[in-house]
Amino acid sequence: MEEIEISAKTVDEAIQTALEQLGVENDQVEVVVLNKGRLGLLGMGSEDAKVKVKLLAEKNGNGDVVKMAREVLDKIIEFMGLSAKVTTGKSETDSLLVTLDVEGDDLGILIGRHGQTLTSLQYIVRLIVAEKSKMWVPFNIDVAGYKKRRYDSLRNLALRVAEQVKRSQRMLTLEPMPADERRIVHITLASHPDVATQSMGEGEMRKVAVMVKKR
Amino acid sequence: MKELVEYIAKAIVRAPEEVKVTEETDDEGVVVKLEVAADDKGRVIGRQGRVAEAMRTLLRVVATKESVRVRLEIV
Repeated sequence: MEEIEISAKTVDEAIQTALEQLGVENDQVEVVVLNKGRLGLLGMGSEDAKVKVKLLAEKNGNGDVVKMAREVLDKIIEFMGLSAKVTTGKSETDSLLVTLDVEGDDLGILIGRHGQTLTSLQYIVRLIVAEKSKMWVPFNIDVAGYKKRRYDSLRNLALRVAEQVKRSQRMLTLEPMPADERRIVHITLASHPDVATQSMGEGEMRKVAVMVKKR
Repeated sequence: MKELVEYIAKAIVRAPEEVKVTEETDDEGVVVKLEVAADDKGRVIGRQGRVAEAMRTLLRVVATKESVRVRLEIV
């Protein structure tokens, strides 16, 4: 069973960051608070909060459910009057996830501005599959390699920003981005020796901050 | 457009037999009306309207392709 430990200023922030790294909602995990943390006085004697977050269900995609997801996606594409081919594969970006790849002509329309249509499509398909299977299975939907390209450029961006933060010793905040994209940034920098990441802000304005790691 | 909404709605409600979708055209474009059982209304709207919003986004793709305007009304 997968579990991770995360430190942050407060318990809430640590839990949020952990959920983003795992790519799940809070009803799918068990949280153990290892250290409540202390704010300290004028920055002295402060201590980071630390939590352990454990996944409740096995995260491996169940073959039947993936097949179901593919059928649902096929149907929706058909009802939208588009023709495209859906293939299933292990995600290149994330070994825990299954990716449903949609390939075809003129699929820009299915991606939308900033991938908004793709986000809606994935949301609806996940919802339907969860309702049908009574199970939560992580899968991603990608259209014409859009997410793969986006994730690649986010990884580059994360590494560049980390270098900048290390050099300047100052915190930098990235543009607001959706949960899956923030997750890529968190994961990319999770093992970085000099910087730590944390999400801040609410809803559509939520963004990742990259800061110097405390020794 | 009707088929798309009908398929999604029936898949996420508890009472699919009570899902009724109609499609009509007025001077502002196509109106897709989705009717579900009272208990299912929350499911097709979703938390903070997320489900309805996602359905509208997908509908808009179809409408753009057909060069029309579309509205989704949940009644």
